[in-house]
Amino acid sequence: MEMNFNQHISGQFNADLEAIRNHMMSMGGLVERQVNNAIQAICNGDTQLADDVIRREDDVDKAEVTIDNECTQILVRRQPAASDLRMVLAVSRVVRDLERIGDEASKIAIHTLEVTDTKNPQFCQQAIRYMGEEVVKMISGALDAFARHDVDGAVEVVRTDKLVDKQYASALRELITYMMEDPRSIGQAINILWILRAVERIGDHARNISEQVIYLVSGADVRHSSLTEIEETAHKDD
Amino acid sequence: MTDSTMTTRQKVEASMARRRAAETRFRVYGMASVLFGMLCLVVLFGDIFSKGTSAFRQTVLTTEITLDADYLDINASSDERALMNANYEGLIKRHFKTEMSPSGRKERRQLYSMISAGAGWQLQGVVLDDPELIGETITIDLIMDDDVDQWFKHDRDNPESTRLSEKQLSWLNTWVDSGALHTRFNTTFFVNGDSREPELAGIRGAITGTFLTLLVTFLLSFPIGVAAAIYLEEFAPKNRLTEIVEININNLAAVPSITFGLLGLAIFINIFGVSRSTPLVGGLVLTLMTLPTIIISGRAAIKAVPPSIREAALGLGASKMQTVFHHVLPLALPGMLTGTIIGMAQALGETAPLLMIGMIAFVVDVPSFISDPSTVLPVQIFLWSDSPERAFTERTSGAIMVLLGFLIIMNTAAVMLRRRLERRW
Amino acid sequence: MSIIENHKTVGTPLSEGAKLSARDVCVYYGEKQAIYNVSLDIRKNEVIALIGPSGCGKSTFLRCLNRMNDTIDICNVTGEILLDGDDIYHPRVDVVPLRATVGMVFQKPNPFPKSIYDNIAYGPRIHGLASSRVDLDEIVEKSLQRAGLWNEVKDRLHAPGTGLSGGQQQRLCIARTIAVDPEVILMDEPCSALDPIATAKIEELIDELRENYTIAIVTHSMQQAARVSQRTAYFHLGQLIEVNATDKVFTTPEHQLTEAYITGRFG
Repeated sequence: MEMNFNQHISGQFNADLEAIRNHMMSMGGLVERQVNNAIQAICNGDTQLADDVIRREDDVDKAEVTIDNECTQILVRRQPAASDLRMVLAVSRVVRDLERIGDEASKIAIHTLEVTDTKNPQFCQQAIRYMGEEVVKMISGALDAFARHDVDGAVEVVRTDKLVDKQYASALRELITYMMEDPRSIGQAINILWILRAVERIGDHARNISEQVIYLVSGADVRHSSLTEIEETAHKDD
Repeated sequence: MTDSTMTTRQKVEASMARRRAAETRFRVYGMASVLFGMLCLVVLFGDIFSKGTSAFRQTVLTTEITLDADYLDINASSDERALMNANYEGLIKRHFKTEMSPSGRKERRQLYSMISAGAGWQLQGVVLDDPELIGETITIDLIMDDDVDQWFKHDRDNPESTRLSEKQLSWLNTWVDSGALHTRFNTTFFVNGDSREPELAGIRGAITGTFLTLLVTFLLSFPIGVAAAIYLEEFAPKNRLTEIVEININNLAAVPSITFGLLGLAIFINIFGVSRSTPLVGGLVLTLMTLPTIIISGRAAIKAVPPSIREAALGLGASKMQTVFHHVLPLALPGMLTGTIIGMAQALGETAPLLMIGMIAFVVDVPSFISDPSTVLPVQIFLWSDSPERAFTERTSGAIMVLLGFLIIMNTAAVMLRRRLERRW
Repeated sequence: MSIIENHKTVGTPLSEGAKLSARDVCVYYGEKQAIYNVSLDIRKNEVIALIGPSGCGKSTFLRCLNRMNDTIDICNVTGEILLDGDDIYHPRVDVVPLRATVGMVFQKPNPFPKSIYDNIAYGPRIHGLASSRVDLDEIVEKSLQRAGLWNEVKDRLHAPGTGLSGGQQQRLCIARTIAVDPEVILMDEPCSALDPIATAKIEELIDELRENYTIAIVTHSMQQAARVSQRTAYFHLGQLIEVNATDKVFTTPEHQLTEAYITGRFG
């Protein structure tokens, strides 16, 4: 289905839609940096960076409230239809997912502080780093797909999430072996577990964002669908 | 920003003086025109009223006269013919000869000429009404001759302007002093038809003629006019022929009315052989004259009905005829009636066409049928205005007042009707 | 903008066993063509909304369905319009009973300048639907009840119809249309002259009427179309661009022009 980028008769309406899109992108950028910093913090044992992430969590929360408010205003004033309606709804949902990602990043930072306080070995560094890089790519990939209305990019993100899920499973198994070998490391391991879980969650939220991209472009609601179903829906009009 | 608004306002304020002056001037001109118009009206009506009011009073002599059965040679059981043919005039003459004792034939003639020639018919009327009165002495108001009438109403202060002789004046003054000679409301004016004698002349014939003529006009022009308006507005196809018809109808409204008289003469009287000077032919001619007015106002009334009503009716499944007769016509009727009344009021005052068809004749009898010869009020006025007698002058003005009265009533009725019926929706 | 050559209507314009079927309908005003080859089916007991920018022909098309365009001399209609399978433009068809079967409610409420009772009774009277005064009373009551006006006017049936408020007058017109027992009701922007509360009442009424009648409504308000109809037809410069289920048209329209109109990019 073709998208129509012509101007609305009401210039203010255009400006309003542009605004929520831009604000969402800014928030996305902020959240991306948060996740990046959190991963760096745990991988490098950087407590200062971790503190920074925790502090900036506020900004993420505020952005969610502001953008959601702007979306409400557009719904009230303009009663948007078709592609405009889908965009406003998509932005509203994406923003919620971004805020959750921010929360998870903050959790990573908090657990990082607890882990680096002790002198115990840090498990699953490689897994964390690897998974972390992937989910950061997923976030930027999803936001990029949103900006460019790129369905294929969105599907790619969903595929990557599957990979991240697999990695999480194997990292979990690794952690269990560590815990079985040395019961004294359980405390540490559990913190690492939370961190891994948070990263996996971030991947899920990034997947949600790309599902909204598919909704925005094609109108199909693919939440809770399998990868095969999503691939089918995305290429339905080809 | 503030400066420029102030300047604009100041400009407006500056122009206010000029504008107010212009408006005041306009209002002054308007008031002056209205006042001038009203002044003319006042002068016109003043003139007519001053001349005409006296026509509504007639001079009578109250006297007691014995209905001598022997002299009249009738009694209560005589047949109508005998009652009618009895010599009432002679009785009156004998009565006054006895009463006033004129000496010599000249004086007798002068005495008798003071009483109206119609006094005899007055007595006849009394006897015919109640033959039992024969032999009785009755009190009766005898109508006086027009010379006496004029003297009594206008000339009592300047005896030079009357034709009456000194002897006559002395008798009259005697009667005046005794109170026998006085004026009363001029019922004769309304009850009698036209007459050579001014004191006996009345407008009843003319009014009846006018009424019958207008009746014929209305009965012919209203249905035809309304039907034509409906046809032209609703059913006629929009082609060249219809256009030509429309143009002609509009032009007919401006044609000089005398032309219709000529038309009536040529066609109705000469070709169709309708008897001249009758309300029938008068009505036919006036119908031709008022039809354009009725058709034009009827079409305007129909056009004024909003199309939404028509659409509503058609949308419900009403046929074209049903839509027109159930919805359009009732709403257009007030306008049509108003136009008709105005047309009738116009026709009421028409003289020229009716002259052409012969209503100028001297008709005495009051017409009772549309095929009886008659005259109409405007023509009657025209005829009387031609007469040299002074008495006819005042009667002319009196008749004009009656005519104006009718016109005002009809036009007021039109206005009231329009106002009342138009408020409905 | 000009018309699209060889355009085929997108979506679901046609269906089986429709109540009203239009096939290749063209309408000309003298030389000028106003409707280009419109084919559309209206299903029984559905409410279909006709939307589109000003002058796109939706009202013209609506008026073809009960041959109200016959009253305009220069208007010429070609193509086929079938009501229950019978062509309504057949030369032997009498428009009078057709208009009793396919009724119309107009943009500006137009009650007759008669009493409320007579307004409703007029249609049944001329079509001979009531054999006695009692029958007529019943028809009047039923129509007013169906139009949701009975309780408000039952005590003043002989008051003039023009004395009601705008919204009541429109409901009176709807009752008047119902009184002749139509099968289809055509509504030409029925709420455009009314305030929001009156509009809301009439929209609810349309929903109730759907049970017994097929309704086609022309509207300028897209929100109204979204609220009252099951299917929506989008007209553009005399062409039928798209016909689809209403929620689909307003969330994921198929045609670009529909999308552009609905989102307010022109019109």
